[in-house]
Amino acid sequence: MKLERMITRRRLLVALSGLTATALLAACGQNATTPTAAPSGTAAPTGGSAPTATPAQQSRPMASPTAPAVSAKPTTKVKVVYWGSFSGVLGEAEQGMVQRFNQSQDEVEVDYQYQGNYEETAQKLTQALAAGATPDIVLLSDVWWFKFYLNEVLLPLDDLFAANGIDTSDYVDPLINEGTRKGVVYWVPFARSTPLFYYNKQVWEEAGLPDRGPNTWSEFLEWVPKLVKQEGGNTVRYAFAHPSAASYIAWLFQPVVWQWGGRYSDPDFTIRIQEDPAVEAATFYLASVRDGWAVPSKDIVAEFVNGGTAAMKASTASLRGITKSASFPVGTAFLPEGPKGFGCCTGGSGLAILRNKPQEIQEAAFRYLAFATSPEQTAWWSQNTGYMPVRKSAVTSPEMEKFYQENPNFQTAVNQLPKTQPQDAARVWIPNGDQIIGKGLERLTIQLEDPKSVLNDVARTLEREAKPVIEQLKRREG
Amino acid sequence: MEHSVETVKQRHASWMAVPAEGSSLVTRALRRFGDWPLFVLFLTPNLVLLLVFTYWPLLYSVYLSLMQWDLISPVKLYVGADNYRFLLQDSEFREVLRNTIVFTVGTVGGTVLLGLAFALLLDQPLRGIALARGVVFAPYVLSGAAVAVFWVNMLNPRFGIVAQVASWLGTVSPDWLNHPKLAMVAVILVALWKNVGFATIVYLAGLQRIPQELYEAATVDGAGIPDRFRFVTLPQLGPITLFLLVVSTISSFQAFDLIKVLTDGGPVNATTTLLFYIWEQGFVAFNAGRAAAAAVVLFALLAVISFVQVRIGERRVSYD
Repeated sequence: MKLERMITRRRLLVALSGLTATALLAACGQNATTPTAAPSGTAAPTGGSAPTATPAQQSRPMASPTAPAVSAKPTTKVKVVYWGSFSGVLGEAEQGMVQRFNQSQDEVEVDYQYQGNYEETAQKLTQALAAGATPDIVLLSDVWWFKFYLNEVLLPLDDLFAANGIDTSDYVDPLINEGTRKGVVYWVPFARSTPLFYYNKQVWEEAGLPDRGPNTWSEFLEWVPKLVKQEGGNTVRYAFAHPSAASYIAWLFQPVVWQWGGRYSDPDFTIRIQEDPAVEAATFYLASVRDGWAVPSKDIVAEFVNGGTAAMKASTASLRGITKSASFPVGTAFLPEGPKGFGCCTGGSGLAILRNKPQEIQEAAFRYLAFATSPEQTAWWSQNTGYMPVRKSAVTSPEMEKFYQENPNFQTAVNQLPKTQPQDAARVWIPNGDQIIGKGLERLTIQLEDPKSVLNDVARTLEREAKPVIEQLKRREG
Repeated sequence: MEHSVETVKQRHASWMAVPAEGSSLVTRALRRFGDWPLFVLFLTPNLVLLLVFTYWPLLYSVYLSLMQWDLISPVKLYVGADNYRFLLQDSEFREVLRNTIVFTVGTVGGTVLLGLAFALLLDQPLRGIALARGVVFAPYVLSGAAVAVFWVNMLNPRFGIVAQVASWLGTVSPDWLNHPKLAMVAVILVALWKNVGFATIVYLAGLQRIPQELYEAATVDGAGIPDRFRFVTLPQLGPITLFLLVVSTISSFQAFDLIKVLTDGGPVNATTTLLFYIWEQGFVAFNAGRAAAAAVVLFALLAVISFVQVRIGERRVSYD
């Protein structure tokens, strides 16, 4: 109703000329056949745009046969640019999500643009901010969103949640809480994961082990001799594998530190990685390589799938890919417990909307964000990737329950989720904290250096690099 | 032939003449300011590109190297020489410089020596030599990232082809790319494999330009093959060697794609070279000031090395 009142003579003229130009473009250039211009005709044009389309058609009787169909379609769709980070199986699912959204309605069109991995996406966003040409929605990983929050480039989303009648309490608590600062949501969980214990069921069976993951690391140590396989003095299969710093060893070591009763840091950036519990956990990692049952590898997933290791810890996100490419049955389990009990972190990425955009764009961007994290879609996303559903109601939906019955591996992460906690500030909030810790861990798993002195070095570096963030945080939050 | 050259010259002259006669404005300007306007006109496009994309970033780097900035924040904090002081004291940066020198000496020395050796072999009039030349040159035209990806797989210690070959030979292949010492060796070898074709082709061209009379004269004077190589071939290749040294030094300082894909600068920092460090500080740690300071160090290093190379070249290399 409101829209109709807005149609003045002047607006009509503007709309007319715009439509004519669009139609001409569509008629001339083949490349102009974007989904917007595609004659679908199935969806009813909305509100006041319908009357403007008709005169446009009539005013141009000379247009080519295809043109009228094109111009009849209202071009009032709001275009939203979305920067994503997934490739392979995950990339197909991410694009699939965008397609599903674009087909689900005809008011907003999301333009999906792949930007490389999490790190590359964050780098490009930084450059885009400098150039003043940012996307509208961006996928940011657990270690990156905070940096952009600190610099006040992310939009607070509470008003949009309220305006769209979405109750944020249906989001899984530890996940939504991670993206909330001072009670305001900035970063909405989308592709969230936890580490899982993966094992090769075939090797397990040959070794005569029960079909489950080890309950504790000490139990795993008992199993290890049966899992390691040697040929002519050369180990052809290890029991376990450690990734490189670049493959996020610091993320997979985070729960181990907790299992030994330590932590990387306190929330206020007091570094604790050099303290005894963390050093003991690090000594365990060092021993795993020194004693010959674990191997440092540049690509643990390839190692596992090719039989180079019998087990590993890896993200839930690898589940779909691993199940597809492994020639043996794959089992998943909770992380083993350490001397001080259970510990597991979350990880992955979420969606954020950029500030300083027209309201119309922000609203359109939010519609995608709400769609992609809706109970129905998060279930679809989870089934196609291995990431966890981010909505409580999705986890308990009959559809997901049926899926879990058929694919028990996918349920492991969901069952483990209530026992997870957010990561320590040192890894996720100190710039490059992940790599600083990761490189320290490489000094243990690859160079077999003394854990105490390595972690002392790491702690010093972390303390130094934390300073600018602490200052910035003070300015931002007081 | 002469006739056609003449026509071209005439056409050229008339082309020059037309605008001068046709527009009195140009003629007057030429008379008044000499060749200056024309000079400026021709120079401007290149000069603008150079200023915008080379000199301005250079100056801006120097400016940024005095700041603490995360690339996003609107505020840049002036910290004076702190970034340089940090680099001087940082043991990681010293390791990075050491890696850079090892990598540069390894790749530049290797490229030049292997290039010469291959060129001498490929200069022989043998059957199938064209194919052999093609094989040696082919890796040079491949993309660095693609080369690195298949070497990562070939070097895998458990399912790579290198491990397979090692097991046939009754030994065990180490985990090349994950080994604190061997990672650098592996990166240098892959860089050599990729780049040696270029040096080979350049040397080959140089070899074929050496006048046959020099060898004949040397033979008459009683010089054997080693002497002919030492007193004829090597001095004659002097300018080419200098050219290759300068060019491959600069390109080895700029190596990035191979290192990124092969080792990501690791394990720990074992294969982090200066350029990789700059990238890491700038775009992973978002420490623009430190990255800029390291970039200024790189610039100074390259300037000194190029200067020395050219100086030595002037004295030692004969262009006759």
